[in-house]
Amino acid sequence: MNEGDLQRFERVVLPHLDDAYTLARYLLRDEHDAQDVVQEASLRALRYFDGYSGGDARAWLLAIVRNCSLTWRKRRRVDDRTVPFEDTAPISTSDADAPDAAVVHASEQARVQQAIASLPDEFREVIVLREVQDLSYREIGDVVGVPIGTVMSRLARARKRLAVLLQIDAREAS
Amino acid sequence: MQCDSCQAALEARLDGELSMDEAREIDRHLAICPACARQFATLDETRRLVSENAMRYNAPDVLKARIRGAVARAASPTVTASTRKTLRWWREIAAGVAIAIVSSGITLVTANRSAVRYSAEDELLASHVRSLMPGHLTDVLSTEQHTVKPWFNGRVDVSPAVPNLDTAGFPLIGGRADYVRGRVVPVVVYGRRQHMINVYAWPSSSPGGSPPNDLSRNGYHFVTWRSGGIEYWAVSDLNVAELHTFVAMFTAAH
Ligand SMILES: [Zn+2]
Repeated sequence: MNEGDLQRFERVVLPHLDDAYTLARYLLRDEHDAQDVVQEASLRALRYFDGYSGGDARAWLLAIVRNCSLTWRKRRRVDDRTVPFEDTAPISTSDADAPDAAVVHASEQARVQQAIASLPDEFREVIVLREVQDLSYREIGDVVGVPIGTVMSRLARARKRLAVLLQIDAREAS
Repeated sequence: MQCDSCQAALEARLDGELSMDEAREIDRHLAICPACARQFATLDETRRLVSENAMRYNAPDVLKARIRGAVARAASPTVTASTRKTLRWWREIAAGVAIAIVSSGITLVTANRSAVRYSAEDELLASHVRSLMPGHLTDVLSTEQHTVKPWFNGRVDVSPAVPNLDTAGFPLIGGRADYVRGRVVPVVVYGRRQHMINVYAWPSSSPGGSPPNDLSRNGYHFVTWRSGGIEYWAVSDLNVAELHTFVAMFTAAH
């Protein structure tokens, strides 16, 4: 690889390491595994950089991270059991002991984190790619390697589960 | 429009994947059908809750440096695959530091800004990343301020503040003497979750104080301020807001 390509790789691909790491954290649910996979994926991206056609570099890197994560899981025989979702203690809504905003936010984060972690792998990845990484259906389809119709149905089923887990039910429609 | 076809398109409506005409058609149905509208509201609330609360992680400093180093070596034709495997990861970090310096040097030339200011940040950034290599972070490893502060005596010519910030969530990790900007300076090291904060101190040319000033480079943040005749620089990959909180605690405590 010549100096120009290397600089282009550093400029185009390496700025997305935080996103790559975030995806790996969600897919592997372990920070050390995620670090190893992101490093492996980065080197693989460098090897295949010739094949990168100049589209969205972030989606391209995320696809490699996803593939490396799957391989890693198989190799490590990480069991695919989902983390059981435990209902957290209900937050009181009475004014008398209303928790301050920061506490509510923290517990909201924990609730959401737990709900995402409890999703089966194929649902969790589309939710993370959509809600955390903000990819379009087409980009998600490219990353996961499925048609857009499949992306839509997985996303719909994932959101239905999340709505139940997070106890969201809009009573009144405006 | 039938409820069936409306409900099949709710996700796409929510995610902005419909054409304007299609979206309008859905909206018209939602306006007259409470059942579909309720389903849409549930979906929308789910999406909002998840996207607002789901964690975004920062890749740790050490990982980024490791990758930059590994990429540099992998791209270099003089290093064979087998040698590459035997390289220890901390050597890859060293290469990453070199890259960081080289690339910021390029910035310096093209940006054509104040050379003095840029070189200070370059050196601080390189020193910060270098400090993350195993065994390089601290010379004196102690969570006790009364151990760290006297350790600097005789080793460096400024005596930095070493406040105890445990209760604020910034545990003291230790101190070291480092060579930056042409002199040996004290560095006080604090932690925050998996992040490290290096606080560098120089004798200041002006005796007064100055409020904190921040800048960022390559995903690292710097906050600098003057106090008691000393110029301080806090460097970390911690987010800017938390780094400012740290500096506020630090300055309030001494
Ligand atoms: Zn309807």
